[in-house]
Amino acid sequence: MIRTENLTKVYNGKTAVDGLDLEVEEGEVFGFLGPNGAGKSTTILMLTGMIEPTGGRCLVDGIEVAKDPLKVKEIIGYLPEDVGFYGNMTGEQNLGYFARFYGTTAKERKERIAEMLELVHLDGVTQKAGEYSRGMKQRLGLAQAMINDPKVLFLDEPTANLDPEGAREYRDLVERLAGEGKTVFVSSHILSEVRAVCRTVGLLAKGKLVAQGTLDGVARTLAPSDGDAVRIVVETREHLPDLEDPAIIDIERNGTRAIVRAKADIRDRLAETLFSQGLHVREMRIEEPDIEDVFMAVYRR
Amino acid sequence: MAFDRVLNVARKEFSDHITSRRFIIVLALFLVISAVSIHEGIEVYNAQLDTYNEQLQQMTTEIEGPYPGWMPEKPSIMLVFLFMMSYMSALGSILALAIGFDLVSKEKESRSLKSLLSHPVYRDEIINGKVLGGVGALGFAMALALAVSLAMLLVFSVVPTLDEFAAILIFGAASLGFLLAYFAVAITMSTVAKESGSALIYTLVIFAVVSTLLPILGTMAADVFSGDPPEPPEMVAPMPTPAQSSGGGYITASDDPRETDPAWRDYEEARKAYTEKRRFISDVSSILSPQMNYMVVSMAVTNPGSSTMYTAYGALQVEPGGGLADALGQVWMNIAALIVFPAVFFGATYVKFMRMDIR
Repeated sequence: MIRTENLTKVYNGKTAVDGLDLEVEEGEVFGFLGPNGAGKSTTILMLTGMIEPTGGRCLVDGIEVAKDPLKVKEIIGYLPEDVGFYGNMTGEQNLGYFARFYGTTAKERKERIAEMLELVHLDGVTQKAGEYSRGMKQRLGLAQAMINDPKVLFLDEPTANLDPEGAREYRDLVERLAGEGKTVFVSSHILSEVRAVCRTVGLLAKGKLVAQGTLDGVARTLAPSDGDAVRIVVETREHLPDLEDPAIIDIERNGTRAIVRAKADIRDRLAETLFSQGLHVREMRIEEPDIEDVFMAVYRR
Repeated sequence: MAFDRVLNVARKEFSDHITSRRFIIVLALFLVISAVSIHEGIEVYNAQLDTYNEQLQQMTTEIEGPYPGWMPEKPSIMLVFLFMMSYMSALGSILALAIGFDLVSKEKESRSLKSLLSHPVYRDEIINGKVLGGVGALGFAMALALAVSLAMLLVFSVVPTLDEFAAILIFGAASLGFLLAYFAVAITMSTVAKESGSALIYTLVIFAVVSTLLPILGTMAADVFSGDPPEPPEMVAPMPTPAQSSGGGYITASDDPRETDPAWRDYEEARKAYTEKRRFISDVSSILSPQMNYMVVSMAVTNPGSSTMYTAYGALQVEPGGGLADALGQVWMNIAALIVFPAVFFGATYVKFMRMDIR
């Protein structure tokens, strides 16, 4: 549904996005992660047809964005970071203005606007958008992004101004959209936010895609390499005896707890050995790299 | 470019303008002062009409007048609009600047431009819609001012002829062109500046330069480069000056002895060359001033038959006895300048807006 090929954007001699190759399948909820200034927003601006790439190309639903931005805009929705509205108009009037660009009838517009305002809990709000709180603006931003019932939704830092209740409602909304088969592209620098809703992620750093795939897959790819070794955490109620197995490389012991580095997953054999010695196993698991640590290490690069 | 998208933007902009407090306040002031000026103009018109009637009556009763062949000229109701023009150039420009200086910068500040651009609309459609909306609002203000003036004329039992009505419409078009000149300056500055405050300052600086400084500099340059005017030769007896009378009449025939005096003819030629040189220097700088161009065009429309149209910065010579078309023909450069000036600024706005960084 979304594809970029060697996508590049240079601003005043500085490369903001550097040869980005990305692919997001239809119906995916994709998290676009990266520290501030990594090039996430610039990528979204190119994907939404608001700026032209310096090099490469990007396609949404098979349409090359730079060649036919209007056609792309008709099938996408975009929530910009720190979204803004016309302060002299109500939320309903703002949505009405945007909706007129889609060539719908007045009746269709009215129904869609009412539906969207209800969805973001702004129905019945009569005050002007200039008097809205940041959270209300963010919710109206979600409504304007969905005013055309888009196939693809681009959300740039969507929970930035939301309170916990608003953030929970946003997650429910994304789940619902995913259930309807829509493609959602969420850009954020907050891992927990992306983790909560996204099935796949791409990690951007200094304009380059560092990794793409499932969150665990990306974390494993980026984790410090330990060859083919498997790290097994073992904890027993009693003092841990010496463990012997031809697959074991080394053991870090700490009383009743140990981290066993082995050539393969030998948890079954270890459990059998400990059970035969009458020991009570409290924990036995393969140690996965800590996602937060892995991502933070990339952010700090 | 789809016109319905341009219209959507224009409709919203027009609605924003005519419902904004700023526009309503300036427009109200503009209309009130227009009405006052029209009233003042009608009083002067009626006074001139009385003088005209008296002179006409004298001509029928006294065959031997002081100037044989002299015909009184019936005052035109366009005189009324001459009064309106002076107020229009002050308050109208404020109205035009007020609606334009934050038209784009406000969108940048509120980040609404990014939201708007995420929907299916091209940048050129947005800027064209904004300009169209502004033109519509200024046209609305102008139409209201003309409607008020016409209503007042009718209330005072002054009914314009078809020609006068056409002249009023041309005056309205010239006034709109003048308003657009300053609207164009304001919207350009709004696109160039990052903030509305800076846009307002830039706009006021340009306004001051083109409305006041340029005409003054033109006059100063004319004084410096033209030198001293030629002195008239000594005459045996001073002759009455064949100029406009207080009642607006003019002399159609004379037996002026100066016409046969070679010294006087030389002086007249030297004076004519001096005036033309002076006018040329002054015109070069004045042509860049919408105020000056508006003034010259308005005087041609409101007073087409006068031999000399005096402005604040000098005199404009117009051939006597010509109609509206002749008068407009003589000020074609000023008319062209009133069109070119906003066109240049709108062009600059377009280019800048298309290249604007919206991050």
